[in-house]
Amino acid sequence: MKSSLYKVLLVAAAVTATGVGSAYAGDVILNHDKNFWSPQLQAVGDLCGTKTGVKIVQQAYSPPDQYKAFIQSSIASGNTPDMFTWWSGVTFRDDLVATGQIAQLDDVWADMLKSGDFKEESGAPFKIDGHYYAVPLHFNRWVMFYNPELFKKAGITAEPKTWDELMSDAEKLKKAGITPFVTTTQDGWRGFIWFEELMIRTNPKAYLGLFNGTTHYDGPEVRKVFQIWGDMFAKGYFTDPRSNQEMQDFAAGKGAMDLMGEWAMGLMKDAGMKIGKDLDGFITPDVDPAAGPGLIFEASPLVLSVAGKAKPDVTTALKCWISTDAAAKWGEVSGNFMGNVKATPPNAVVSKVSDAIASDKSTQLYPRWWEAVPAELQGESVAALNSFMLNPTPATAEKVMGDIEALHKQYWATHKQ
Amino acid sequence: MASADDDRAIIEKLGYENLRRSERALRRRNFRIALLFMTPAVLLTSIVLLLPIAFNIYLSFTRWERFKGLDQFGGLDNYRLLLNHPQFETAFTSTVIWVTASLIIPVGLGLLLALMLRGIPMEGTFKNIIFLPRVLAPTSIGVIWFYVYAPHGVLNSALTLISGDPIDTGWLYTDQTTMPAIIATYVWQNVGLVMVLLLLGLAAIPTDPIEAARMDGASSRQVFRYIVLPLLTPTLLVVSMLSILAGFGAFDLLWVMGISYPGQRTLSLSVYMYFVGFNKGSWAYAAAIAVFLGAISIAVTWVQALLQARAERLRS
Repeated sequence: MKSSLYKVLLVAAAVTATGVGSAYAGDVILNHDKNFWSPQLQAVGDLCGTKTGVKIVQQAYSPPDQYKAFIQSSIASGNTPDMFTWWSGVTFRDDLVATGQIAQLDDVWADMLKSGDFKEESGAPFKIDGHYYAVPLHFNRWVMFYNPELFKKAGITAEPKTWDELMSDAEKLKKAGITPFVTTTQDGWRGFIWFEELMIRTNPKAYLGLFNGTTHYDGPEVRKVFQIWGDMFAKGYFTDPRSNQEMQDFAAGKGAMDLMGEWAMGLMKDAGMKIGKDLDGFITPDVDPAAGPGLIFEASPLVLSVAGKAKPDVTTALKCWISTDAAAKWGEVSGNFMGNVKATPPNAVVSKVSDAIASDKSTQLYPRWWEAVPAELQGESVAALNSFMLNPTPATAEKVMGDIEALHKQYWATHKQ
Repeated sequence: MASADDDRAIIEKLGYENLRRSERALRRRNFRIALLFMTPAVLLTSIVLLLPIAFNIYLSFTRWERFKGLDQFGGLDNYRLLLNHPQFETAFTSTVIWVTASLIIPVGLGLLLALMLRGIPMEGTFKNIIFLPRVLAPTSIGVIWFYVYAPHGVLNSALTLISGDPIDTGWLYTDQTTMPAIIATYVWQNVGLVMVLLLLGLAAIPTDPIEAARMDGASSRQVFRYIVLPLLTPTLLVVSMLSILAGFGAFDLLWVMGISYPGQRTLSLSVYMYFVGFNKGSWAYAAAIAVFLGAISIAVTWVQALLQARAERLRS
């Protein structure tokens, strides 16, 4: 009787163990919130298993809010996971690294830079007070994707090099019955995309000032952006922002251009677009040429806990992740650029953007608004920007600028600038 | 089989003192057995319900914000913030509107349907059709209705057809229409359940007083006002309290259908609590909102128990 009970318990334990996950001793768990990239992350993890004997096993928590809750409660209770992804910007610098539970990776970066695999700028988002605390999961630039077939239909023969050319192309598209730009408030977070782009195209210095309270949301620099943005809406340059199918709209030709991060190319391909046929990209030209060449970037940090870094398997896994083979694999399966310049670029558009940056040494990379703005202000501010997109009138612009400024003013009154 | 005489003989033989002792032993044994059976349920309730509630109350007195403050005592700070925060006030007002609407409309409509459907041909078929939305998951309903209300969705297409003018109202994007649109969906989902519960209540009403009143010349309105309604009051109370409790906890429909609405985070206290906790990482403040919501639920249940007891007393 007893022996059969033990057998039942053993079988139950085994079934539970296999049901919980497929990680084994020696495997390193990579915790992340990017559920849509789970198979791609695992493909890199398997490659590392073959290459080093230490397999990276991806573990997704979705949606991102649940993931944040998991990591925050783990760290607050002193059980920091060995290896996980986070977001760059304020939440990385002021919150995560400030816990003291994230390992410094200066030694790893010294090797990455010495080998020439990575450039300094890929590490900048993860460098705090002269120390590196992460390696990139991805390093995406935000570019203007366009549909060459629709450009051709409207009689546009070359990519625009100036803002006037871009607006002239928009007018040509409009006359050909094609809406120039896809835009949407889908999922509630996209409100900042055009705002940040127009900020860096008009006054990048003022853009950076938004993140330390020195630029006011109701100031002249922001006012100018709302004016341009509102004018573009008034001219009918944007698709209906109430659509919640951005990629499908772009693929269906409802709009000729879509301002997005390079990571979106995977989604565009899934929607049926093909690079070289109906998908290409260019760097948005400056509204004010004095703004200088620049791009918005978005980098996700991959970090190790202090305890994790002390484990040889975890460091092996991290070093494998940044290797040229893994970076090439990651680019091949997900279309993501990691920052490893020796790896084969994921696609022609990434290659083109990298070449453009490399050819002009004065190109500046600006952090994405979402990561740069204090976490407490993200939700309300982006909701206000969305409300402008839904009703792009001068009156709404005034209200939105006033509301966001009030929020930020209150925040910066109690936080150091 | 032992007769009463046999029992009496045994009692006399053993003596009353011994009997009392053995009775006590038997009770103790029964209690131990009962305890054994109850233990899993008590443990389960404690672990999955009482402990998290206690932990949540503890959290509401800390300063836990994102990665730090879990070990710092904040006293009543979070409750003070809650009482002074304009967004909390907006969310609370929205919740009151939501609870009021989701109480009055489904209960009123449910009662009307119950009275109309009772005893008519194909009653069962009508009941099943009206009850059907209740068996669907609220998130599925939210997604379905999101597209019904979409600018180029079913509702606008129907309105365009009727009016002859193109209509592309964004029902789930504006301050004026978002809440009413979600309430309409909630009513569609829940009116069937209310109707079924009220039909059960109506079926339990004895027919004698109704027949007697009719023989005395009472009109249908008088029968309903003075006989049916008082006898239906206990059921109405239960239905109303369930609606109020569901209203205060409302989350899924508001979350799914309000995703594109810029004011989503203050559509209800539950949505606001999720936003404050999961989105902003202000866990201690979110815990205080949860305690506040819990206190409302307890108060509502307590009022319901009092009213129920009063209704029972009046009936008897």
